[in-house]
Amino acid sequence: MTSTLERTGEVDLTGAYRTVSLMVRERAHATPDAVAMRHKDFGIWQERTWAELWEEIVIAAHGFIALGMQHGDVVSIHSEDRPEWVIADLAAVAIRAMSTGLYPTNPMAEVQYLVNDSGAKIHVAEDQEQVDKIVDAGPDAFPNVKKIIYIEPRGLRSDEDERLLFWEDFMDLGRAHREEHPGTVAATMAEAEPDDIATLVYTSGTTGPPKGAMLSNRNASFAIENIILAEGRTADGKMPGPHDMVLTYLPLGHVAERVMSTWTMCSSGVVLNFAESIETVQANLQEIQPTLFFAVPRIWEKIHATILIKLNDATFVKRLVNGLGFNLAAYIGRSRAKNNGNYTFGARLAYWFGNIIMFRALKERVGLRRCRWAGTSAAPIAPEVIEFFMGFGVPMVELYGMTENSAVATLNFHGRIKVGTVGEPYPGIGLRLDEETGEIQTKHDGNFLGYWNKPEATAETFTDDGWLKTGDVGVWVDGTHLKIIDRIKHIIITSGGKNISPSEIENSLKTSPYIKEAMVIGDGRKYLTALIAIEYDVVGNWALSKSIPYTTYHDLSSKPEVIELVQGIVDKTNEKFARVEQIKKFRMIPKELDHEDGELTATQKIKRKAMEDMFSDLVADMYGS
Amino acid sequence: MRNRPRLYVSYASEMALLPTWTQKVAALVFLVFLVLIPFGVIPGLGFLADNDWLKILSRVSIFAIGALGLHLLSGLAGQVSLGHAFFVGIGAYTAAILGGEVGKGTWGLGLPIWIWLPAAGIVAALIGALIAPTAVRVRGIYLAIVTLGLVFVGEWLFRSLPFITGGAQAGRKFPTFEFRFWQEEVPFLDFTSDGPWFGIQMTSEAKIYILLLVFVIIAVIIAKNIQRTRVGRAFMSIRDRDIAAEVMGVADTKHKVMAFALSSALAGVTGALMGAFVGRLVPEGFSLFLSIQFVAALLIGGIGTVTGTLLGATFVLVLPRVVQDLTGLLASTAQTGSGWTAAVANFFVSTAEGDPGIVSTLPGTSPGLNIAQFNLLLYGLLLIAFLIFEPLGLYGIWIRIRNYWKSWPFTY
Repeated sequence: MTSTLERTGEVDLTGAYRTVSLMVRERAHATPDAVAMRHKDFGIWQERTWAELWEEIVIAAHGFIALGMQHGDVVSIHSEDRPEWVIADLAAVAIRAMSTGLYPTNPMAEVQYLVNDSGAKIHVAEDQEQVDKIVDAGPDAFPNVKKIIYIEPRGLRSDEDERLLFWEDFMDLGRAHREEHPGTVAATMAEAEPDDIATLVYTSGTTGPPKGAMLSNRNASFAIENIILAEGRTADGKMPGPHDMVLTYLPLGHVAERVMSTWTMCSSGVVLNFAESIETVQANLQEIQPTLFFAVPRIWEKIHATILIKLNDATFVKRLVNGLGFNLAAYIGRSRAKNNGNYTFGARLAYWFGNIIMFRALKERVGLRRCRWAGTSAAPIAPEVIEFFMGFGVPMVELYGMTENSAVATLNFHGRIKVGTVGEPYPGIGLRLDEETGEIQTKHDGNFLGYWNKPEATAETFTDDGWLKTGDVGVWVDGTHLKIIDRIKHIIITSGGKNISPSEIENSLKTSPYIKEAMVIGDGRKYLTALIAIEYDVVGNWALSKSIPYTTYHDLSSKPEVIELVQGIVDKTNEKFARVEQIKKFRMIPKELDHEDGELTATQKIKRKAMEDMFSDLVADMYGS
Repeated sequence: MRNRPRLYVSYASEMALLPTWTQKVAALVFLVFLVLIPFGVIPGLGFLADNDWLKILSRVSIFAIGALGLHLLSGLAGQVSLGHAFFVGIGAYTAAILGGEVGKGTWGLGLPIWIWLPAAGIVAALIGALIAPTAVRVRGIYLAIVTLGLVFVGEWLFRSLPFITGGAQAGRKFPTFEFRFWQEEVPFLDFTSDGPWFGIQMTSEAKIYILLLVFVIIAVIIAKNIQRTRVGRAFMSIRDRDIAAEVMGVADTKHKVMAFALSSALAGVTGALMGAFVGRLVPEGFSLFLSIQFVAALLIGGIGTVTGTLLGATFVLVLPRVVQDLTGLLASTAQTGSGWTAAVANFFVSTAEGDPGIVSTLPGTSPGLNIAQFNLLLYGLLLIAFLIFEPLGLYGIWIRIRNYWKSWPFTY
C-alpha cells in the first residue's frame, strides 16, 4: 500500500489548501488499511480501505486529465449513490475541476437542460438507462460533452457511440497517464485555492428551471467546520470518527447528502455504506445500524408509518406489550419535547423499562439502535414525528440550511432541543430575520459564490449589504431558537387577509400513515382546501382488511370508504388549528405523483404551480365555480 | 462486525459455522454439557450417567452419524432413500470381515480399528457410487421404490452369506473398541474395560460414550461443511429443481452420485460402530424398519438441517426408553394408586392377563401391544402428525419460537 502512497506523494502538500480531496489523501497516509466505504455487491458488503479509495481517486483524476479536463471544467455525474460517484466527485476536486450531480430520476429533457447549462465536458452515467438519456437525444444535443463514461457495462458497448467509454477503460487511461506523468495530480492539488468551485449543486426548481449554485472549497470547509464538527451535536459529545457508520442513500447531488456523507467521510473518517437502492433502505438500515443517520421528512414519515402498521399487525401478546410501550414512548416524547430534549427522572425511568420490553428491539428492527445522532432537514416535518422518535430514544433533531449557504444555518444542539423549531444558529455565524418580511438571511463563509452563468439571479439572491436571502420566513422562539413558518412564496393570504402557512397543515396531515402527500390551497380564496394523495400500499392493505375490492390507484382513492377514512384524518387535523386554518373541502389526487410527469421535483417536493394547473378542475370544483 | 449481526463483509463470515459470539458460546457450553454427562455432575440430569442411559446416548451418537448421511442425500440433495439400512449393513460386515476374529464358519482378518472403521465407510461409499447411476435415473416415489428394493436384496444377501454374516437368526461377533497399532496382544487404548483415565475412574460405557461423541462431532463438522460449500449448494439446487440446477451448470448426475456415495459412507461407519457397540448383530437387523427409523429421524427432527437431524436421532432413540418408563409409571399407578389417576392409568396399561389396555407390561399373550409394538405405532403416528402439522419437524418448532422473539415487537 505504501508504494501507491509514495507515488502520489512526490509533491509536498503541507501548505496546500485543505480541499475535501486532500483530506482523503491525509487519511490514506494516516490509516491506509482502515475501512473507508462499503457497498453491497453479490449479497456482501464489499469494503474499500482508505489507501484503495485514494488510489482510485488519483487514477480517476489522471483519467480526467488524460481526457483533457482542466481547472474550471465540469464533470456531470448521473448515477445512484455508489463508490464511483464519490470517486469521480473527489477526483474532480483534486484537479481543480468541479462536479455536478444529476438525480437518477431526471427525465431526458431535464438531463439535457442540466448538462448543457453546466457545460459539462465529461458525463459519468451509471448504466444503459442513463446513457440512453444522452445518446437518444442525437449527436448534436450536447455540444459540450466529449466523453460519456458508463459504470455498468450491461447492455452497452463502447462502439455504439464514439463518446462512450467504459469506467474500467477510463481507469486504465488514468493508470497509463500516471505512468507517463506521475505527480501531476498532486501538483494540481498544491495549487488549490479557497475560491475554486468544488461543485455545482442544482436547486430543485419548484419554480422555473433549476439553477446551479456554485459551492467553493471555502464553502465546503465552512460546512465541515460548523455542521459536521459542531460542538455539542451529540449526547456523548464525541466527534464523528472512524468508529461511526453512515448509510448513504439520498441523492448525492443534493447538498444535504453531500454534507452528511461525502464531506463527513472526508473530514472525520466515518465509514460510508452505500445502500443498494432507495427501495432497500429499510433492509440496509437493519444491516448497517448506522450511528449517524440523516433523512428527509419523507423517509422519517415512512419509517414512522411502517412502525405504526407493524405494531398494529402484531399478535395478541405482542400487541398488549406494544400498547404499554407505545404509551410510555408517547409520555417520554412529550416530556423530552418539553424539557429541551432532556430526560426528566420519570422519563428516564419510563425509558429504562420501555427499553427492556420493546424500545431496544424496535430500534434494532428499524435499524436505529446504534444511532447516536439522527437529523431531519430539507423539508418541513411535523413535530409529532420528532416526538415519536424521541420517545423511543432515537436522538433525533431538526436542522436547517439550504444549498445557497452550504446548509449552514441552524441546528438543535444536544440538551437545548426545542421540538418544532430548527434550532439555534451555529455559533459565530451571521443570521438575521428581515424586519419587514421576517425572511431569514445569512452571511458567512458558507454563502455560495453565485449561480452558474446567472448573474442576475445571483444578484436577486443577495441583499444590498451582502446577506443571502433564503426565501424562508421565520420567527424567533424564546429569542434563541428559530422556527420556520414557510417559504415566502408558499404563504397563503386568504381573501379575508389572513396569513397562513400551508406546510404546517400539510405536515400534520402527513403524520397519518395513510396520507402520502397533501397540498393546501387557498391563496386569495375564502377558505382553505386541500388536494390529498394516499399512500398506495398502506391504504391498499387497509382496504384488503376491510374487504373493499379495488383495482388501481385511481379506483382505490375514489372509493367512498377511503374518502371517509381521509375525511376522518382531515377532521382530526382541523381540531388542531384555528377556524381560518381549517380545511373545508378536499379532493383526492387521482394519480400517483411523479417526477417524470412534472408534479414533483427530483427531491420529491411538490411543484405547487404545476399541481394547481394540472388539477385545476378539482380545485375549481372545491370552490364551487 | 461487532454489534451488527447482519452486516456481512465477506462470504467467509456469512458462511461461518458459528457466525456470532452468542452461537460460539452456546456451542461451547453445550459441548461441555455433553462431555460432563457421564460424570453425573449435572444437576437434575445426574441419572444420565447411569450405564443404561449412557448406552442409549451412545446409540444416539451412532445413529446420528447414519442420520447425517441420510440428511446429505435426502435433506440436502432431495433424493428420497429407503435403502439406508442396506449401506449400514455393508459397513457393518466390512468391519466384521476386516476387524473381526475368525469364528465358527465366519471369516475375519482381525485388523485394527483404524483400518476397519474407515474401510467400512469407503466400501459402503463405493457400493453406493456403484448403485447410484441406476438410482439417479428415477425421481421421487420411484426412487423410493428402487431403494426399497435394495433393502430386500440386501437382507437376502446377508442371510445367504453365513461365512460373512453368521447366518440368519445366529449372527456373528464384531470387532470391539480397542485401539491397536497392529495385531499385538495388548491394545494401547481400550474402551471395553473399566479403569482410570487421566486419574479419573471411568466405566467402559462412559469411555465408549466419549469416543462416540468425538465421532459424531466429526460427522457433524463434515456434514455442516459439505452443506455450506460448493458441493452442498449444488445438492440443494438439485433438490429444489434438478432441471433448473442443470441449466445453471450444476452437473446433475455427478452430484447425485456424490450424494449417494457420501451418504453411504456415513451409513457404513454407523454400521461398523453399531456392530462394535452391540458386539453381535443378526442379518435381519438391517431391515426396512431400520431405514424407516432413519427417515423418521429426519422427518421428526426437521428435514434439511443438521440440527434437526440430530434432534430427530435423539428423539427416535430416546422415545422407546421414555415410553417404557412411562408405562412402568402408569402400571404402578394402576396397581397401587386410587381414584381417577389410577383409572386413567388402568385404561392405558394392561398389567395382568385379561386386563384390557393399550400397552402391556407383560410379555406375549395379554391384550394390548407390547412396548416395541407400541413404539412402532408411535413412530407412524408421529410421522403423520409432523408431516401434516410441522413439516420442518422439531427444528421447525424451535425456529418458530426463535422467530417469535427475533421479530419482537413486530410479528413480521
